Amino acid sequence: MRIDSLTEAVGNTPLVRIDPAVHGLRHVDLFAKMELLNPFGSVKDRAAWTMARPLLDGAVQRGDTVVELSSGNTAKALAVIAGMHGLSFKSVTNRMRIPEIKDLLLLLGAEIDELPGQSECLDPTDAEDPLTRMHQRLSASGGGYVHTDQYFNGLNVDAHLQGTGPEIVKDLGGRAPDYFVACVGTAGSSTGVATALRRHNPDVRVLGLVADKSDFIPGIRTIDEVHHVGLFDPAVYDVIETITADDAIDGLLTLVRRCGTLAGPTGGGAYQGAVRHLRAVDAELTERRTAVFIVCDRVESYLSYLRERRPELFGQPPRRNSVRTLTDADVAEASTIGVAGAQRWVTQRRGIVIDLRSPVAYRALHIDGSINIVDELFAELLHGGLPFGRRQPVLLVCPVGEKSARYAALLRRMGHRDVSSLDGGIIAWRDAGGELVRD
Amino acid sequence: MTALLTEKALLTTVVDALGSPLGVVLPQRLADNVAAFRAVYSRHHLTGQIFYAHKANRSNALVRELAATDAGVDVASLAELQHALGAGVDPGRIVATGPKNREFLWLAARAGVIVGADSTAELAELASLVDEHGLPRTRVMVRLSGFASAGVHLDSRRSRFGVSATAFARAVNLIEEHAAALDLVGVAFHLDTIGMAEKALALEGCLTALDECRRRGLRPWSVDIGGGFGVDYLADAAQWDAYTSALTAAVLGKRTPLTWDGHGYGLRAEGGTVRGSLNLYPAHRPVSGAAYLDRLLGMDAPAQRRPLGALLLDNMCDLHIEPGRALLDQCGLVLAAVLEVRDEDNGDTVVRLDCNARDVSLEEHGVLMDPVVVHRGAPGGAGPVGVYLFGNLCLEADLISRRKVFLPSRPRAGDLLAFVNTAGYFMDFSATRALRQPIGRKVAMFRDDGGWRWCLDEQYWPIRVRTEAS
Repeated sequence: MRIDSLTEAVGNTPLVRIDPAVHGLRHVDLFAKMELLNPFGSVKDRAAWTMARPLLDGAVQRGDTVVELSSGNTAKALAVIAGMHGLSFKSVTNRMRIPEIKDLLLLLGAEIDELPGQSECLDPTDAEDPLTRMHQRLSASGGGYVHTDQYFNGLNVDAHLQGTGPEIVKDLGGRAPDYFVACVGTAGSSTGVATALRRHNPDVRVLGLVADKSDFIPGIRTIDEVHHVGLFDPAVYDVIETITADDAIDGLLTLVRRCGTLAGPTGGGAYQGAVRHLRAVDAELTERRTAVFIVCDRVESYLSYLRERRPELFGQPPRRNSVRTLTDADVAEASTIGVAGAQRWVTQRRGIVIDLRSPVAYRALHIDGSINIVDELFAELLHGGLPFGRRQPVLLVCPVGEKSARYAALLRRMGHRDVSSLDGGIIAWRDAGGELVRD
Repeated sequence: MTALLTEKALLTTVVDALGSPLGVVLPQRLADNVAAFRAVYSRHHLTGQIFYAHKANRSNALVRELAATDAGVDVASLAELQHALGAGVDPGRIVATGPKNREFLWLAARAGVIVGADSTAELAELASLVDEHGLPRTRVMVRLSGFASAGVHLDSRRSRFGVSATAFARAVNLIEEHAAALDLVGVAFHLDTIGMAEKALALEGCLTALDECRRRGLRPWSVDIGGGFGVDYLADAAQWDAYTSALTAAVLGKRTPLTWDGHGYGLRAEGGTVRGSLNLYPAHRPVSGAAYLDRLLGMDAPAQRRPLGALLLDNMCDLHIEPGRALLDQCGLVLAAVLEVRDEDNGDTVVRLDCNARDVSLEEHGVLMDPVVVHRGAPGGAGPVGVYLFGNLCLEADLISRRKVFLPSRPRAGDLLAFVNTAGYFMDFSATRALRQPIGRKVAMFRDDGGWRWCLDEQYWPIRVRTEAS
């Protein structure tokens, strides 16, 4: 396949049958629409391209910046498309909660504006939603921006009405599926696909999935948030059900571990929500049915999200020489010296003084002659073994003498013979009038 | 507080004697709240002062009780400063913040409290006062604002207060020029946000400012991060979720209204879509108060990528905080007498109270909490009843709550409604004498000898009256 622009590769994603041994439904053929295979990594490539395309010529002529309220995949796709056309992209967001996406956007050259958090003391004059606030900003700026407006732009729906929906029908041999399952974000894909499918078969059952209010699932709105979306029309959905972050992660694990599908939490949520809903239906069925759900994006961007919620998935064997394995008794046995002793130690240049504080704090003020190895680095060094001889006298310094005592105990356990910790730390040193220098 | 609410005779007696509304403060709870913050300090090995933000409540008893703990007081007016000094708070444990007139500055310098300066002009005025009147060298902190972020542009609401990072150098110049009058002990910020990322950015900005001071040979050791730790007013997350969903549905006309005149608390319907944002305090805040501080200190600084608590410690900084609301969690309630319970023709039930929306300013602060009914006798009807709460001002807008409140049983005239957990900002912050209506009086209630005792707020001291053994 030879093409001139990667935007031509947007769409025409495969429809893949999920192995019945995995989902366990007896009468339902479950298919996944692999939107994660779009060139920029998500279902949003379609909407982003469809919405941006008519604006690009004008924007290029005027040198406008493309702007969108998005903290995820739409921003990513628009940043790529803007970049391909020599335009800047700015993402305005309430709070970007996925660090990988934030970093990726910065890498793509996007500018990110984070709106302020809710005020602690109520300000009754402040009742605007992020979108309205963004419209106000854009009009105040007096031009220079093109706004794709994904929550209200009909082209967002069109992308799926013309693309995603008909592709599913074609791949099912000209038939619409009996069930269509989608997570509701901007409502663009679910509305567009549902409309296209119903043109073929008005009896298609559409299941919309929203996020439980108690937790956050990237890309899925809660039942309250969907009401803010201009494209959201409850009549599109036969049923709206709720899924939790736990459900989404369970589904994600099934897809990535069993189905060769490196799906993110939205795809995982769609799978889990689909199977949960269809399992109840399956029991009553006598004929075969087909169901389709959308796998929106890829797992790689959500590793920190997963690590936060399921740390056990990332379980690694404990590393050797770790302060975490010390007992209180070990720490109590560490040798400490008071400020007066330490002052003699330093004047007599008995050995090396290691300051475990952060580099900036060290640079600001430190004990003359000390060297700085921030505790995290020191811990890394020790995993590998002693970075100095066993007889080399060492004095460890930290803020209050707590960390330094732990490291002194660890060094001792590793066989070091002459290590002490400054009792009370550099704060005690300062309070006793000890000299502190900056270079 | 739960125990106190069962003391019907006591509550009705004090309201009968002193009138409605009546503020009740529970000073004995303060020590626990201070201790919760101290525990977070210990966990991070940090030292520094916990300043109670006095503006949260005008009570005497609360400040006097605090004077008996290791906490300090943040005063934001001349009268608050006088009050804190009179309550026995050590001047070394008082910080004067907010907009100040010359008298406030003079007394602050005279008494030797820390002055948290909002601007270079304020520092200049303070220095000239100290020089002219031969006052002692005054400890000052400089409040910073407008912290620049790297990478992601982090917006914060514009603040009236504080000097920008660029103007900070000018402020330090001025302090150096008046070194005999001003002693720079630290820098401060206070952001009106519940967002931690903004606070993390500001805290790191303060550390950068301190580094600049050290480069210039100054030795300030403190960072004051202000307040805004919040309170978890509603423990049950599901209730909050259910209510806000129902409110959204009501705004869209998909269910019967839950509020007076279809009020949307910031939400409005436009063409079938909800616009605006929910202008309510997030009632369910599981990470609030001391836990919020703990979380913030555990967060990585955006540039140095090390936990903020560790960085404060690395830099040998004292951490000062100014909690108001969080320190008064569970420290008081407002009692109001029911004047009338009336069923309207349209099916609404209204309860008219002998207090107004300024006396229990929940609505003004966007906090939705159900009052507890204290019946004198039998309820006015079995089963729950949805009511609107009207105030005693001759004013259409005087509703204690625009939300329909579902009381577990129907009150009668003469019963009391207890607005619980209102000590922080909702008791007297906005109270006025409009229409010559009285401002509610205040009592302190405390446990002593196994029972409840009470006295007028101004009579309370953190010692107990003892009778001589015969």
